[in-house]
Amino acid sequence: MNIFGEITCYGQCLRSWAPIVAFIVIISLSSVATSLMLKDPKKRLQTFAFAQVSGLIGVTLTYYLMNCSEMLSMYLFFAYQAISTILIFGTLRYYDRLMIKRLEAKPAGSILKWTQEYVDKLTSARVYYFDSAFPKAFAAGRSIFVSIGLLEILDDDELKAVLAHEAWHIRHNSRMPFLSRLALMAFSSSSEPELEEQADRFAAKVAGSAALFSARNKVDKVFI
Amino acid sequence: MVKLDQINISNDGLTKFFSPIEAAILRALWSEGEMTTSELTGKTNIPLTSVAGTLDRLVKAGYTTRRTETVNGRVRYVYEPVLSEEEAASEITTKILDSLVQAFGPLAVENFSKYSDKK
Repeated sequence: MNIFGEITCYGQCLRSWAPIVAFIVIISLSSVATSLMLKDPKKRLQTFAFAQVSGLIGVTLTYYLMNCSEMLSMYLFFAYQAISTILIFGTLRYYDRLMIKRLEAKPAGSILKWTQEYVDKLTSARVYYFDSAFPKAFAAGRSIFVSIGLLEILDDDELKAVLAHEAWHIRHNSRMPFLSRLALMAFSSSSEPELEEQADRFAAKVAGSAALFSARNKVDKVFI
Repeated sequence: MVKLDQINISNDGLTKFFSPIEAAILRALWSEGEMTTSELTGKTNIPLTSVAGTLDRLVKAGYTTRRTETVNGRVRYVYEPVLSEEEAASEITTKILDSLVQAFGPLAVENFSKYSDKK
């Protein structure tokens, strides 16, 4: 049977539900396309995860709504979609472990003992440093990553401001319920500046706005 | 480029083989030996944001090594050149001569001997 014949067949089996399923399929395909165009690896992964989930919803819906006997392609696609969704979420869940491996990151407590102790007071997260002269800090999963280049140029107060900023991201991520995180994956770009602002407000409260201000001045936009 | 896959004959000095920032860093390291990042940015007069990526690249390509030091609670890199200026010069020369011989065979060798006779 050719592919168009099969699609028409699905359309007939689904009857009035066909437009809804088609809509979900379009959402899924367009988020796959978006994820291919995104440059930031984490956003890419998140958009792809969103595509996977919407694909899974689409295929499950089709499975239950069909009025005819199921087709083999349906079973195969369902199995593929279910397995790959689990894999993608596994990757997201352990994203920080991946980053530790890729950057060959080591616990920051081993070179600057107070950094881990300071973060412990704010949230439960591990602090890692990695080998790069470029000043950079970011949070992933339950881990905070800082480059040696960042440790070189910041004094203790400025570093505290950066750590507090990243700790806020981790606290915020872990408090957000699963479904709203999924929604954020789909529309992340619009709400991001606001998140950064909130993280900065927290950092200013904890470490002082002078320290945050001078850290921002030194590394202009390289901690996110 | 540090990998010597691109040579700009019309450029001056080291920038024939290295980017201007790479050349400035290597020149500084050859004259001083060991240097911290702030000493490097001070001596070359290039801001950290432009120098950082190049430093990572030079380390990755094996032209410099760096170690991490903690002094008075401050973490810093200390850079060191892997090859001396003479060693780097002979490595570059050998690579270029090799590629000339590969391209022109005996003709290239003939020209080398003419060149050294002239000197």
